[in-house]
Amino acid sequence: MPEALIAKSPLRPHVASEVSAHGDAGVTLRERLDLRLAQISALRGREQELADAVRQAFGVELPATSKRVVSGPVAFAWAGPGRWLASSTAETDFSALPGAVSDQSDGRAVLSVSGPKARETLATLISLDLHPRAFATGDVALTHAASIAVTLWQSDDAPTYELVCFRTFAATLWRWIAHAGASRGIDAKLG
Amino acid sequence: MAQSHRLPSRGLVDRARTIGFRFDGRSYEGHAGDTLASALLANGVRLVGRSFKYHRPRGVIASGSEEPNALVELRTGARREPNTKATTVELFDGLDAQSQNRWPSLAFDLMSVNQLASPVFVAGFYYKTFMWPAKLWEKLYEPMIRRAAGLGRAAEAADPDDYEKFTAHCDLLVVGAGPAGLAAALAAGRAGARVILADEDFVLGGRLNADRRVIDGATSPDWAARAVAELESLPEVTVLRRTTVLAAYDGGVYAALERVSDHIAVPAAHQPRQRLWRIVATRAVLAAGSLERPIAFGNNDLPGVMLAGAARTYLNRYGVAPGKRAVVYASTSDAARTVLDLSAAGVEIAAVVDARGDAPALQEAAKAAKAPLILGGSIARATGWRGVSGCEIADASGRTLKMECDLVAVSGGWNPSMQLSTHLGGRPVWDDAKAAFLPGSCPPGMTVVGAAAGAFGLAQAIAAGAQAGVEAASDAGFAASAFDVPSVDPEPDVVYGRGPWRSPSTSAKAFVDLQNDVTVKDVELSAREGFVSVEHLKRYTTLGMATDQGKTANLLGLAIMADVTGRTIPQTGMTLSRPPFAPVAIGALGGAHRGKEFKPTRLPPSHFWAEEQGAVFTETGQWMRAAYFPRSGEKDWFESTMREVETVRTKVGVYDASTLGKIDIQGPDAAALLDKVYINAFASLAVGKARYGLMLREDGMAMDDGTTTRLSDTHYYMTTTTANAAAVMRHLEYAKQWLWPELDVAFASVTDQWAQYAIAGPRSREVVAALVDEGFDVSNEALPYMGATELTVCGGTRARLFRLSFSGELAYELAVPARYGDAMIRAIIKAGQPFGICPYGAEALSVMRIEKGHAAGPELNGTTAAADLGMGRMASKKKDFIGRAMAGRDGLADPARPRLVGFRPVDRSARLRSGSHLVARGAEPSAANDAGYVTSTAYSPSNGHWIGLGFLARAEERMGEIVIAHDPLRDGDIEVEVVSPVFVDPEGARLRA
Repeated sequence: MPEALIAKSPLRPHVASEVSAHGDAGVTLRERLDLRLAQISALRGREQELADAVRQAFGVELPATSKRVVSGPVAFAWAGPGRWLASSTAETDFSALPGAVSDQSDGRAVLSVSGPKARETLATLISLDLHPRAFATGDVALTHAASIAVTLWQSDDAPTYELVCFRTFAATLWRWIAHAGASRGIDAKLG
Repeated sequence: MAQSHRLPSRGLVDRARTIGFRFDGRSYEGHAGDTLASALLANGVRLVGRSFKYHRPRGVIASGSEEPNALVELRTGARREPNTKATTVELFDGLDAQSQNRWPSLAFDLMSVNQLASPVFVAGFYYKTFMWPAKLWEKLYEPMIRRAAGLGRAAEAADPDDYEKFTAHCDLLVVGAGPAGLAAALAAGRAGARVILADEDFVLGGRLNADRRVIDGATSPDWAARAVAELESLPEVTVLRRTTVLAAYDGGVYAALERVSDHIAVPAAHQPRQRLWRIVATRAVLAAGSLERPIAFGNNDLPGVMLAGAARTYLNRYGVAPGKRAVVYASTSDAARTVLDLSAAGVEIAAVVDARGDAPALQEAAKAAKAPLILGGSIARATGWRGVSGCEIADASGRTLKMECDLVAVSGGWNPSMQLSTHLGGRPVWDDAKAAFLPGSCPPGMTVVGAAAGAFGLAQAIAAGAQAGVEAASDAGFAASAFDVPSVDPEPDVVYGRGPWRSPSTSAKAFVDLQNDVTVKDVELSAREGFVSVEHLKRYTTLGMATDQGKTANLLGLAIMADVTGRTIPQTGMTLSRPPFAPVAIGALGGAHRGKEFKPTRLPPSHFWAEEQGAVFTETGQWMRAAYFPRSGEKDWFESTMREVETVRTKVGVYDASTLGKIDIQGPDAAALLDKVYINAFASLAVGKARYGLMLREDGMAMDDGTTTRLSDTHYYMTTTTANAAAVMRHLEYAKQWLWPELDVAFASVTDQWAQYAIAGPRSREVVAALVDEGFDVSNEALPYMGATELTVCGGTRARLFRLSFSGELAYELAVPARYGDAMIRAIIKAGQPFGICPYGAEALSVMRIEKGHAAGPELNGTTAAADLGMGRMASKKKDFIGRAMAGRDGLADPARPRLVGFRPVDRSARLRSGSHLVARGAEPSAANDAGYVTSTAYSPSNGHWIGLGFLARAEERMGEIVIAHDPLRDGDIEVEVVSPVFVDPEGARLRA
């Protein structure tokens, strides 16, 4: 009987370098390894049924605009018309929802970028306006970090931004953020 | 004679801080706050470089980024940068600069003999002189011109510095931190708007620091410093020093270059050298001021000839006397300040020449300085060898006065610096009274204020700036309180420089464009030869085409052309400026991501394990794929690859197929959509089965292929080629969103969700059986060829198992969630050890697919139709699909079109080359006789000789025929036999074993 398989992050120090800040970190970079993810698409004519099911199961309204709603361990981020990226820090099973549900727990990696210099660091990679007057906690953007497609949301007022990319881009995205953060006191540690 | 020209007390330089620097190997001292130009002038160094074409001695003309003359090579080694303007280089400790374009030395330059040959080098010289005989061009003329002309030398080593790109958003971008810009930024910033204020300079204030003005009782530099301090205290205001706004683009987007580290020897750790800003601004205030224009006179390029306003900048801002005895030659009242400031600083005024004789302020200043005043006169020429030692002045009656002097301060008026307003095609408008082009229609959201708009007075500039700032803030929803416009010292009535543009006659060279060595005579010649349009003038003479874009030259050249052709300036026209406003290092445009980081690198799930195995990798688009896994004793890729192929064909191998595109397709209409994108049927596919599919572009050409598996009635799992993963996803979304929006189907990319390993070879079933959990049957009966199932492996990890084969052997593809990919490959190797498993790479895969005649990238090359690939009969006749109609075009249905076949060399030891073209034996290799081409070749260990795939016309009739594979580039021609493209197991028995 073969041994049970051990889960691994797509990051290793030799492709995603760790950096320690001297003094207070201006920006902190981490990988979120605790998330289950699923892409959920509404089926034709069954949008309301999906919305009702989400409300019933999680007590939140599916956002119709580029927002992210949180309910306990579960969150739903708008990901295009009739499409959401669901996440959970618990063992939530989204597959029972009445829609096209596609597990993305391994398809995507999530990097969190936080701290007083987070916005400045991301401005070297992301061309959207992340100023609090334009983008706040709960806002979502489908954009790109340099040439890497990302789903971006702000998860708290630290501020913390979370960047969701396809898993095999994660090491490059990590390096690019770490490089941009080097002059801004980045603290980048692998999980 | 250290700092012989430094004045005892003036200026903003920090006299307590002395900075050592080198120019042409000699050591000098300057002060913090100096530019290289001001420090050289402080040391009495006037000769700074040699000119482009004639190698004439040149010095400092201006005091900012418009400088056409004082260009140096800055720094050494890999950081050497040519054509750096000494007027913008901030002095730092250890600065090392070299003069350019001189040999053997700056003072004694042999190439200055070019001047003697100057009749040869007139405008358009390269169109005329070197036309005949043409054969001498490469050997003689071009090398000669290259040696004689050109400016600095680029660094030869790779740029060691970092660059950064940065996007910023604001309610208001203010370009220029002079009086108008500061007022605009303050008015909007105080109201709470998000403001970015950018200025090229390292000290903000523009001409407030260059002139001795009084604002609200404070000296103008103090007022500027206080304004800047207030701006920097406002949380929503960003003040960017050393930042040139380069360009205006659509949508309120501006490009700006911040020279983060150019004022220090080497960038600090992790700091970029320069930062390219992309500024998205709802409103912009262009307050870039104005640039002074010279008057052309003989030898007006000699070191010691300087713009009148620049002379004041050196006096007032840097505390440097640009000369000891000056002649001021001007057609404006503004130059009166130069007379007064020079005089006040102890510079003797030898004479004041009021070119039009109508500038009272200039005349009063001359009186105050007790200097001779020449009304309506001109400077015929400056005299001197390596710098001005005197000049010849022609008075209104034509009498010539010789005057000793070491400085000629000249002003022909001021050109509003409104380049950015023209970047989206806005055409400037000539204002006759102000003798200047003023901004016409501006980019949306842009307002031009201050001198840039032709409002040359200080009070006017501040008021207009403040007004624009208030409006921008109110646009952004911030109520700005009224801006108290400060009082300023009295301003005399302005007399604008309305010509004359050149001294009436001179035998000496009178320069219009100093950087490109364009003279008044060149403009006259251009007119004589019919190049009277400004666009022709520019291209014929190269006027304005140097790196300064003719900032001091364009109007002068235009005015002289108008004069020569008897037209007005607006009749003559105007060339628009284009981005960038100032030269930009390519590195800054490239940004942080270069070299290996130019694009993302995608690492498949087995990557780290493959690294441990010593795999050799190959880049496939963004992916790093293992090419082969060398073992000790193997001398090259070929040996390793052959061993890997043989292992798969005789035992078992494992390959990471995770790079294939994978798309999750769900919905009641999933089957209907697949039927529309594939040429063959998928609605009829049974659950638990996979099928090979080919999709076409709308034009009927093959687009991509792969296998799609039906997981349930409404759920399919599609794979695409690695290269086309994104294109296929786009194609599907297009089909759904635009062609058939009524279909109820949803897609999700799951390329990265699954680690998918091909386990291939006669022993593969045993390996798979050892991995799957108890209760799952992988026998041929339970999971036949093209079967698929969901199960668990290694004690509970959910997995998908497909009976697919690309290698042609009994094979499986085992997919697990990607986080288990690393552990999975290790488990497969371990389970396969008893069966002799080895990992194989992309090279072995390629050999095996050629042996099986599978089409891949070289065959799916965008010019091949389904029938060409031998898949014509696969196309369903019962349904419509994308590309069906166009695939039926006569040309594509022509049976004579080249079809996919295999080749083997008649001489079995010969090597086949892809790219070879096929011709019949005995036929002349020519385009007319071209019967096809070879797309893929490999040495086949299974056959013991080279094999190839390719496309051959009328292939069906030609099986067994010997044709010539014609390869004029490499080994020449070889004879090949036309055979089936399947070289291994043509019946497919192994697949189904």
